[in-house]
Amino acid sequence: MTSTYATALTLAAGAVLICAVVVLWVRSVRSVLAVVATQGVALGCVAMTLGLHVGDAGLVATAGVELAVKGIAIPMLIGRAAGDAPDRERRPLVNVPASLVASAALIVVAFAAARGVATFVGATGGGLVPVGVATLLVGFLVLVSRRRPVFQVVGLLLVDNGVALVAFLCTAGVPFLIELGVSLDALLGVVVLMVLAQRLRSEFGDLDLDELRELHD
Amino acid sequence: MTGAWPVGAVAAISVLQVLGVVVGGPLLVGLMRKVRCRLEGRVGPPVHQPLLDLRKLARRERTRPDQASWIFSAVPVVLVATTLVIALVAPLLATDPAFGWSADLFALVYLLLVGSVALALGALDTGTAFGGMGASRAMTIGALSEPALLVAVLALSVPAHSSNVPTIVARSLTHPAWLATPQRLLSLVAFLIVIVAESGRLPVDNPSTHLELTMIHEAMVLEYAGADLALVKLGESMRLAVLLALFADLFVPWGVATGPGIGHVVVAVVAIAAKVAALGVALAVFEVAVAKLRLFRVPELLAGAFVLAVLAVVSALVVP
Amino acid sequence: MVLDMILALPLLGGATVASCRHRAAGWAAVATNGAMLALGVWLAVHVVRSGPLTGADGVLRADALSAFMVVVVGAITVLASWLGVRTMALEVADGRCTPRRATAYGVLVQVFVAAMLLAVLAANVGVLWVAVEATTIVTVFLVGHRQTRGALEASWKYLVICSVGIALAFFGTVLVYLCALHAGGHSSSALDWTSLVSRARHLDPPVLRLGFALIVLGYGTKVGLVPLHSWLPDAHSQAPAPVSALMSGVLLTVAFYAILRFKAVTDAALGPGFSRTLLVVVALSSLAVAASLLLTQRDYKRMLAYHSIEHMGLIALGAAAGIPLAIAAVLLHILGHGLAKSVLFLTSGEIMAAEGTSRIDGVHALLARRPTLGGVFGVGLVALLGLPPFSLFSSELLMARAEFQVGLGWAAVCALAVMVVIFVAVTGHARHMLLGAPSTTDASASPPAWVAAPLVVGLVACGLIGVLAWPLSGLLQAAARVVTP
Repeated sequence: MTSTYATALTLAAGAVLICAVVVLWVRSVRSVLAVVATQGVALGCVAMTLGLHVGDAGLVATAGVELAVKGIAIPMLIGRAAGDAPDRERRPLVNVPASLVASAALIVVAFAAARGVATFVGATGGGLVPVGVATLLVGFLVLVSRRRPVFQVVGLLLVDNGVALVAFLCTAGVPFLIELGVSLDALLGVVVLMVLAQRLRSEFGDLDLDELRELHD
Repeated sequence: MTGAWPVGAVAAISVLQVLGVVVGGPLLVGLMRKVRCRLEGRVGPPVHQPLLDLRKLARRERTRPDQASWIFSAVPVVLVATTLVIALVAPLLATDPAFGWSADLFALVYLLLVGSVALALGALDTGTAFGGMGASRAMTIGALSEPALLVAVLALSVPAHSSNVPTIVARSLTHPAWLATPQRLLSLVAFLIVIVAESGRLPVDNPSTHLELTMIHEAMVLEYAGADLALVKLGESMRLAVLLALFADLFVPWGVATGPGIGHVVVAVVAIAAKVAALGVALAVFEVAVAKLRLFRVPELLAGAFVLAVLAVVSALVVP
Repeated sequence: MVLDMILALPLLGGATVASCRHRAAGWAAVATNGAMLALGVWLAVHVVRSGPLTGADGVLRADALSAFMVVVVGAITVLASWLGVRTMALEVADGRCTPRRATAYGVLVQVFVAAMLLAVLAANVGVLWVAVEATTIVTVFLVGHRQTRGALEASWKYLVICSVGIALAFFGTVLVYLCALHAGGHSSSALDWTSLVSRARHLDPPVLRLGFALIVLGYGTKVGLVPLHSWLPDAHSQAPAPVSALMSGVLLTVAFYAILRFKAVTDAALGPGFSRTLLVVVALSSLAVAASLLLTQRDYKRMLAYHSIEHMGLIALGAAAGIPLAIAAVLLHILGHGLAKSVLFLTSGEIMAAEGTSRIDGVHALLARRPTLGGVFGVGLVALLGLPPFSLFSSELLMARAEFQVGLGWAAVCALAVMVVIFVAVTGHARHMLLGAPSTTDASASPPAWVAAPLVVGLVACGLIGVLAWPLSGLLQAAARVVTP
């Protein structure tokens, strides 16, 4: 029983991180959204596994919210807002092989940095905390190295998912009401970003974000 | 490792391993060609055709470019010799081969690397444009695939607490639960990508093309002829066979002989032949199914393999 | 009950604006905000006399620190919403903004204020986090209100950078929660301030250290502290003036309030050394960044924005000292900076509306041509640069004294050196804008009295507080005690 639980948890958490790495790999918006949706589902599975293991109804409900928001709602919203624009990441600031190698370095850094927390939490969940931190760091990498609006939103989502993963593993999630607020904020944030992205497109045309040069000192 | 091995048995196994690789390599290539042809609706040459080719080539005259130095003629020998050493020391048939103590995974990976570097040097030595281009492309790929291979195998050595390949194989035979862990799956995928890249096959390289825009491997061996070409081709096919056999050993170790006895060895021979053949067929089917990647996406694929391998090591270190 | 009402009043104002498109609706919002300020003052008096209040089933809690922040938010909201009526009327009259968007603006400002109030009144760090994140989402549209290219760029940067920061803050909060759970907290109450403080001694030091560092980094983004400060000058210069006033005057310090709270918990668990080092580093680097960018500034709204980074650095330095005297001075500085900075942003909005440019070299001889605006701008800068009699002078003095007391004298001296550089830079820019002889072709007109009045009142309040700390000293001391051992 326990070992099934540990295996399921490890696989789901590993899937979250692998999705993050795959985001660095792909270029088209449609595939990146599929990856993000998969990651959301994997995150929901982490919460679900934990919730069933502990027998905590609140956590199972959280898992449902997480699945609905991050696995379905957010990718759908981004997909709809991105619409039919042929939005590909053509020339990332850091090319794909280099960012993949960098992500390998970040993963090692994450494991080194989160070792203290991991041992403090203990058990299977604790051992996986670095996976969340690594997802967060890969999210940062996407944020600084990708220039299309959609990819930056995806980077933010990776950061968010990484933190959420850590929260689940460390503390079995924050209390349900707060989790609800957090998910709502994430959803609203994405909606707002996509509205902004559409306005940017209508104002500037098809652009890379580092071409925004209106404001500087 | 039950009981001591008699010297004779060890010697016999070593001879079997080397012979198996020398003969089995070309047969493997022939098998894969046959499968491809069948899938494409053609009859194709017989499975033993590469052996016949080798015999024919060995009788032909060797020609060498005027500018080439001794390196050019040394390359085929180095390529075959390094592969033979791997074939001798790797635990292909038994968990305790002759010189098994020297079959360290780093040593094996670097022996493979010596072969690749030798090929690239030989290509540069000809002084032709094709040779230089092929060598540079091959090294671009090698720079990523060698570390990925090394790290992928490292992930397997962590739970075994040893970097000695026979020990890793023996321990994973006694702990079958290791085989289903995430780190194992990750390193398996990384290893597979590296095999495809190293052996110069689709989707990284197309062994049956001589189109200058895309070829990598064929560009490097264009200048070889006669017995030299035979050696190069032999070395190539042996490398593929050794890589597949190592893969089979590390990820599906069942069948490798753990103790002396004629029965064990027979089982081991049949098992390794079947596993390598199955892998070869799978690889051929995969080749037919995919298109060749554009050259600039190849490093991405290998960088991906590297990340997966790093993930495998890290999770092997952290997740008990 | 009082706490619920304080939260509900701005929302009521927002509902009025939404339901009635008339200009009077704007005044209704000002009135509800005024009522909110009055309730805040009552709350402050009550809390100092008879201890903390709770509301909404324990979700809200007000001690002296919260009450003080409510007063600050209330005062600046009244100023900003008063001038907001004027800004929107001008924009609609110019055709730069449709009545529909003006209504949306009014509603969003009220929601923004309510979110800030929720942040300072939250009894629970989780609710605090949700509220701070909500302020980000609401203000994005306010920053982008003008829908120009610059405004869009600013709002994109603002949302992306602040979302990253706030995610880090959430990470930190999770780690603190983890410590609290291990120290025996119950999952439903472990995130409450009171339970965190009471359990502080049992929290695991290494994890708490990491958590606090993430919180400083994360909430520090919203405060405008280095290293994630780059959104601030863009957002503050592109937003409409009343929004800049609210963001610069109070939103920054509401985020700093969160750091202050966590600092109290961390200090109780780890001793003051860790948070002190962290805050000193962050504060001095923010000061250095602000000074270097102020020297070459060509835009007066961006100048004010960088000035905010400087003041946040000063506040962080004061908080690093950590003794009650320092915290009281920090709070006084929060109030003084809020008043002076919001008056200046509101004035700069008027100047921009009148002159049509936000470039420093596009404006000259203001004192001669527009004596009211020029005068308020000049006096506001004097207040902001920390000259007597304004309250920023006394608070800076008190902070420096506290820093010397705890052995941070060197840092205070560094800060002083940076402030001298900033003083020179800002007076140079101000001289260019304010002094000089007007050419005959330049327009000159003064805003109506009802516009100038709140600006003058704001500055007078800032001056009065500086001279007689009397009405506040009890509240400040009580508030400082909340977050010091």
